[in-house]
Amino acid sequence: MKFGLFYEISIPRPWTPEKERTVYNNCLEQVKLADELGFDHVWAVEHHFLEEYSHCSAPELFLTACAMVTKRIQVGHGIVVCVPEFNHPIKIAERTATLDILSGGRLHVGTGRSATWTELGGFGANPDTTKKSWDEFVRCLPKMWTQETFSYQGEFWSMPERTILPKPYQKPHPPMWVAITSPGTEIDAADRGLGSLGLSFAGFEEQEKKIKEYRRRIQSCEPVGAFVNEQVATTNFLFCHEDEKIGVEMGKKLGNTFNYLATQLISTREVYSSPSYQSLGLLPALRRAATGPDAGDQQTEGMAYGDPARIIRAVKKWESLGVDCINFILNANEVVPQEQVMASLRLFAKEVMPHFVKKPGHAAVAAGE
Amino acid sequence: MPLYGSLDLTQAPARLPTLPHLDTEAWALPKAETMQLLIEVPRTTTEGLLPKAMHPALPSYVILAVTKYPESPVGPFNLAVLRLGSRAGAHPRGFLLGAVASSAAAAQELRTRWGFPVEAGEVKFLRRHDRVMGTVTKNGKIILDCALADPQPVAGSDVQYINWVTAANAPLDGQTQPLLIQVDPKYTFYKAERGTPRVSAFDAAAWHAPGMTLAEPIIGTCCTVDTDLPRIRFVMDPLKPVFQGTRRIRESRADE
Repeated sequence: MKFGLFYEISIPRPWTPEKERTVYNNCLEQVKLADELGFDHVWAVEHHFLEEYSHCSAPELFLTACAMVTKRIQVGHGIVVCVPEFNHPIKIAERTATLDILSGGRLHVGTGRSATWTELGGFGANPDTTKKSWDEFVRCLPKMWTQETFSYQGEFWSMPERTILPKPYQKPHPPMWVAITSPGTEIDAADRGLGSLGLSFAGFEEQEKKIKEYRRRIQSCEPVGAFVNEQVATTNFLFCHEDEKIGVEMGKKLGNTFNYLATQLISTREVYSSPSYQSLGLLPALRRAATGPDAGDQQTEGMAYGDPARIIRAVKKWESLGVDCINFILNANEVVPQEQVMASLRLFAKEVMPHFVKKPGHAAVAAGE
Repeated sequence: MPLYGSLDLTQAPARLPTLPHLDTEAWALPKAETMQLLIEVPRTTTEGLLPKAMHPALPSYVILAVTKYPESPVGPFNLAVLRLGSRAGAHPRGFLLGAVASSAAAAQELRTRWGFPVEAGEVKFLRRHDRVMGTVTKNGKIILDCALADPQPVAGSDVQYINWVTAANAPLDGQTQPLLIQVDPKYTFYKAERGTPRVSAFDAAAWHAPGMTLAEPIIGTCCTVDTDLPRIRFVMDPLKPVFQGTRRIRESRADE
């Protein structure tokens, strides 16, 4: 089992330059500590216009800063929105390769297509075609990273032959993942040999079904990259405290705040009737869980908050279902004071991590190794 | 935390519809044809329109809908509504700002049963092969002229209708007071089409949304559905966040 951090970078109103800077600095301080404590990954999302919920619109910059203040932790660009109005594929290939070089071969690249009208409408993107453009992008990226020269004629973008530079530090290229929120996307991931980066908060039964199907399908995949990245990651909340009651209370506060902010997002399906967005993604589960920012009811099972013993039980359960990595959300709207986030990370590393054996990493290797 | 509306409904209760009770029986509304246009609006033009209990949708958007009800307990009628995209707690809702019904009987019943801020007027629903059109005239003036251009078939499962919230005076705990009322119809789809919203006339003030301007169109649909207006199940305190101020009036729709 591997452990990571997952950043939306949620910033409460009223927004001031100092508050934005403080939250970013808090995140960097957490990442630096996580690196020292032995956490494996730090992921940062790409979101735009999502007030309070996520101010992480330039994750490549945040992740570069993370790489510069750490030595070992792997940096996950996740997810890059693979929709041409958001990101030109050449720019994705170039900036991810640069980040891989700067981090010394520690990059993972998550891919996705955006789920909210707030973002798709903001960029003037057509929701009907985001799955298709994502498919084009993920097939092109490995070639752009690995071929000496590259040219392409596609439905969503084209380019004449050029040398795309620089090339990634990892050879053959960084591991690739897909964000899994809508039902069925785990099959898309498996069929393409991509890692399953779960971003929803489904319970054990639903996750187990998805993981089984992913593991089955990926055995016969046609990988879009130079290797198959068979890994299942899920997202969770983390608050670890010596006192179970305090840990659970703060964990619930964190989860409720995050869920409530998330339910305010305008899912594409809510306003834009499209066969491409049949599902509301992660929102139905969040709406069931989020009766309010101070809701007292039990949230989705398997949450990693409480005392170490409780968290060990939850992580063991996830491990038994076939999860390879859990990425933790540490804060939302800064409801957990920074010193408590740091203490929670330290306690988790001391009391929980030793109970879990790390599996071997991905197939790609740094060029210098 | 998320932004809240700023409208204090308790300051002008006389402007709200009044319900004699919260025990309205359900209406079945079979084979309704409903054109719904979703359009973004500048956030500044919606300030003051949403009750304090609710969160605004970001970006701000409105739902303009013109519906032809061929059958109802008060006979056939057409209804046009303007709803403001919003949140009741975690749930997406359309807060009903204004409505016009094509029959006085329908207007009276919708007003006193579910709290629709509805008046009688002329509401036309016209279907052409290249567009579906809605025109609303009140006191001799066109207050809405809109269309769904170039409708193309989609599956009913592609369309999501969000529930409504109305504001009305209603008796609760022995006192008639301003309340928010959840109206949550069911839909069975027979036909669904999708197209581009077009609005050539929109008198914001006539829809109780003075100052509102329409901006970017999102999408439009026209669907044939069996629908209903159900019994009232939830009411909300208009001043408290809905996760604190919601009251369940009846358990489920099973008693309808």
